[in-house]
Amino acid sequence: MELLTLEHLTFTYPEASAPTVSDVSLTIHRGNFTVICGLTGSGKSTLLRLIKNELRPRGTQSGTIRYRGTPMEELSTAVSASAIGFVMQDPEKQIVTDKVWHELAFGLENLGIPPAVIARRVAETAGYFGIEGWYHKSTDSLSGGQKQLLNLASVMVMDPDILILDEPTAQLDPIAASDFLHTLKKLNRELSLTILLVEHHAEEVIPDCHRLCLLEQGRLTACGAPREVLAALSPDAALWKAMPTAVRLGAMLGWNNPLPLTVREGRECLERYHPNTVRTLPQAVSAPSTHAVLTMQEIGFRYERTAAPVLNGFSLTVYENEILCLLGGNGSGKTTALRIAAGLKAPDGGSVSLFGKPLKHYRNGSLYRNCLSLLPQDVETVFLKNTVREELADAGLSADTLPFDLSPLLDRHPYDLSGGEKQLVALAKVLATKPKILFMDEPTKGLDAQHRDTFLTLLKQLKQQGVTIVLVTHDIDFASQCADRCVLLFDGRIVSEDTPERFFAENRFYTTPAARMTRGYYEQTVTVSQVAALCRLNGRTEGSGC
Amino acid sequence: MKSLDNRNPFVLALCYGAVIGIAMFSFHPLLLLLACLGSLVNEGILCRTIRLRSLGGMLLLFLMMALLNPIFSHNGTTILFLFNNTPITWEATAYGLTASAMIVTVLLWFSALTVRLTSDKLLYLFGALSPRLALLLSMTLRYLPLFRRQANSVRQTQMALGLYREDTLLDRVRGGLRTFSVMITWALENGITTADSMAARGYGSGKRTSLTRYRLRAADIGLIGLILLLLTPTSLALATDTLHFTFYPTISYAAPTPLGLIAILSYALLAFLPAILEIGERIQWNFLRWNT
Repeated sequence: MELLTLEHLTFTYPEASAPTVSDVSLTIHRGNFTVICGLTGSGKSTLLRLIKNELRPRGTQSGTIRYRGTPMEELSTAVSASAIGFVMQDPEKQIVTDKVWHELAFGLENLGIPPAVIARRVAETAGYFGIEGWYHKSTDSLSGGQKQLLNLASVMVMDPDILILDEPTAQLDPIAASDFLHTLKKLNRELSLTILLVEHHAEEVIPDCHRLCLLEQGRLTACGAPREVLAALSPDAALWKAMPTAVRLGAMLGWNNPLPLTVREGRECLERYHPNTVRTLPQAVSAPSTHAVLTMQEIGFRYERTAAPVLNGFSLTVYENEILCLLGGNGSGKTTALRIAAGLKAPDGGSVSLFGKPLKHYRNGSLYRNCLSLLPQDVETVFLKNTVREELADAGLSADTLPFDLSPLLDRHPYDLSGGEKQLVALAKVLATKPKILFMDEPTKGLDAQHRDTFLTLLKQLKQQGVTIVLVTHDIDFASQCADRCVLLFDGRIVSEDTPERFFAENRFYTTPAARMTRGYYEQTVTVSQVAALCRLNGRTEGSGC
Repeated sequence: MKSLDNRNPFVLALCYGAVIGIAMFSFHPLLLLLACLGSLVNEGILCRTIRLRSLGGMLLLFLMMALLNPIFSHNGTTILFLFNNTPITWEATAYGLTASAMIVTVLLWFSALTVRLTSDKLLYLFGALSPRLALLLSMTLRYLPLFRRQANSVRQTQMALGLYREDTLLDRVRGGLRTFSVMITWALENGITTADSMAARGYGSGKRTSLTRYRLRAADIGLIGLILLLLTPTSLALATDTLHFTFYPTISYAAPTPLGLIAILSYALLAFLPAILEIGERIQWNFLRWNT
C-alpha cells in the first residue's frame, strides 16, 4: 500500500538562486524501511521537512506530496501531528519538558487525549523502550543516547504511521548510535512501522534497509534495493566514503557476485577470492620522538567529594609532534582528562606539566597564547559574533590567509552553518592563537564523509607544521587513519597504548570494520586501503561467487 | 518512608501551609514552641530533611535575634539588670525570644517544604490553577540547567582560546558580557528547534489535557478534612482574640477558656501531624513485614 507519495517535488528557498530540492519523485510503501543518503547540503533536511506540515519551510514548492492519497495541505492538524512522527538531529534541543514522564505525555496532551488514555499509552511505550528505570528522572540528567531514545519514544507514543528521522545518530557516540539504530530496526520488524531515515553514516543501516536512495544536490540520483544501488555507484562519487566497508572493498577488488554488505559477507568474499600467503603489509618504520611535551602523572578527579572517581591514577605522556588519539567508552573520563590537561579543571591529585613546566606556573593566560589551544566538542561555544567575517576579525584573522577556504561562508551566521562548516570556522579561530599543542574533543562528531576527509588532511598538515595534537574521539575509523598512537581509557586510567595498526588489530570489539573483517586472516590491517593493498599483494583465486 | 510525601501534594501543601500560617500570625509563645518542636521531631529526628549543620545555623540565628531586641528595646517594667547604664527588661527579652522563635519556626517549616515539594509536586499544584502555567514552568525548569551548562562551557572555551583573560575584574566583566550576549543568541536559536519539536508533536492544535502523576484518594480527602478540622478552633480562637498575649508594659495573657484549650490542643496535633503520620507508617511497615 502506498503510504506516502512524492511527485515531481521541487522546492526553492526565498532568495535562493537554485532549488534545494528538485524534481524528487518517491513512493514509500507501508512497512518499508527507506534510507536516504546524502552529504551535508544535499537538501536532505529540507526534503524531510516538506513532508511534515508543521515543519514545512517557507519558499516556493511545486509538485505534490500525498499521504494515503490525500494531498498534505488537506490533512487535519491532528492527523498530521500524530500520523507522521519526526525525530531531529539534536537530542538535547528537542526535549521540551523537565521530566521524562512529562515529555512522553507531551504530544498526547497537545491532542487533548483524556488523561486515562494518556496514562495507558505512556505506560505501554515506556515499557517497550525500556524507560521504566528512568521514568521519574529529570530530562537534564540523561545521557545523549537516553535523550534521543526519549525523543523517539515521545514520538512513538502518538502512534505514528510513518517515522521520519533526520540524522538521529549524528550527535551520539557509536555505542549509543548503534543501540538507537537497532531500536529502529526492531520497530520496523516487530511493528511493521514505516521508516524514512536520513543518515550519512550508513555502515550499520544499509544492510537492513529495504530501499536505499541517494540524494545529490537536491536530486534523487538512485533509488532501489541497496545491493543494486551500491553496485551501480561509482567509487568517484562524493558519497562513496560513506558506504559500508564491505561495499567499498568489494567494489575495489571486484567482489560482485553479489556485492557484500556486511562484515560477515565481506569476510566470506575475502577468504574465497584471496589467499593469505602474505599475512601482513611491510610496516613503515618511523622513529617516534622521545621528547615529552605533556606529562600527566597519577591524576585523580571526582565531581563531588563523595562521588566515585572519574579518573584514578591516570598517567599519560604526549611526545613532540605526534597525533595521539584518546579513546574510550562513554563517561570513561576522556573529556575530563583533556580539560585537566588544558588547565580548565583542577585535578584532585597528581601533576600536569607542559613543555617541562608545571601547568600552574603558567600565569595571566600565557598558557593559552602561542602554546595550548582546545577545540571543544560543542563548537558553537567558540562563536561570539553574528557573522563568520566578524568572527575571524575578532581572532585577528583574514579569510585569505587560512589553509582552507571559508570565503563562501563569510556573511553567514555561525549558528546557521552545517556541522562541518562550523567545525572549520571554529578550527580557524582555535588556530589563530598559534598553538604548539592542540587539543580536540570529538572533532568528527556529526561530520559527513567529505568533511571528515578534509579534516583528516588538515590534521596531517598541522602535524607537518610541527603541531602536537591530542584527540579525544569515539570515531574509531578516523583514529585508525590519523593517529600515530592510540590509548584506551577505562576505569579512570589508561589500560592500553600502541600504534593504531597494533592497537586495533588486537581489539576484537572496539575496532574498525576492516580489522573485524580480516581478524585472524591478515594481521595489522585496520583500514580499507590496507586491506585492499594486502589483497592485491596476495593475488586473486577465481572463486565461484560468495 | 516519608508518609506525607506519598500523599497527594495538596495534603502536604495544606498541612505545612496551615502550620506556617498560624505560626506567622499568632505570635503566641506556646503555639510557636509547639510548631517548632513538631518540625524538629519530624524533620530533624525522623526524616532528616533538615541537616544537623543547618540546625546549628538556625540556633545561632535564634540567639542573635533574641539578644538584639532587649539591647535596643527598653520597653517593659521588670528590669533584669543594667547593661552600660541601660535597663534590660524581662518583657523585651521575652518579646525577642518569641519573635526570633517565630522566624526560626517559619524558616524550619519552609526549608522542609522546599525539600518535600519537588518540582513534580509543584507543577501538579500549579497545574490545578492553570495547565498553561504548569507547562511554562516545566519548560523553564528544563531550560535553566541547559542554559547554565552552556554558559559555563562558553566561558571555558573562550578562556582556552586565549582571546580573553580572566585576571582582572575588568576582564571578567568584559568576558561575562560577551558570554551573556552570545547566550541570548544561543537561547533564541535553541528555541527554534524546541518550537519545531513542539509543533511536530501537535502543540497548539487544540485544547490541551494534562497527565498528572497524583490522584486524590479517599485517604487524601480524609486527611484534608482532618487538617481543616484541626485548623478551625485555632483560627476561631485567633479571630476572637481568645488566645491574646501581650508583652508590654507587662506580660499578660488571656485566662484559659475551653476554646483556648481546644485551640492549643488542635494546633499541637496539627504541628505534630507529619510526625504522627510518619511514625504510624513506620509501625505499620514493620508490622506488615513481621507478619509476612
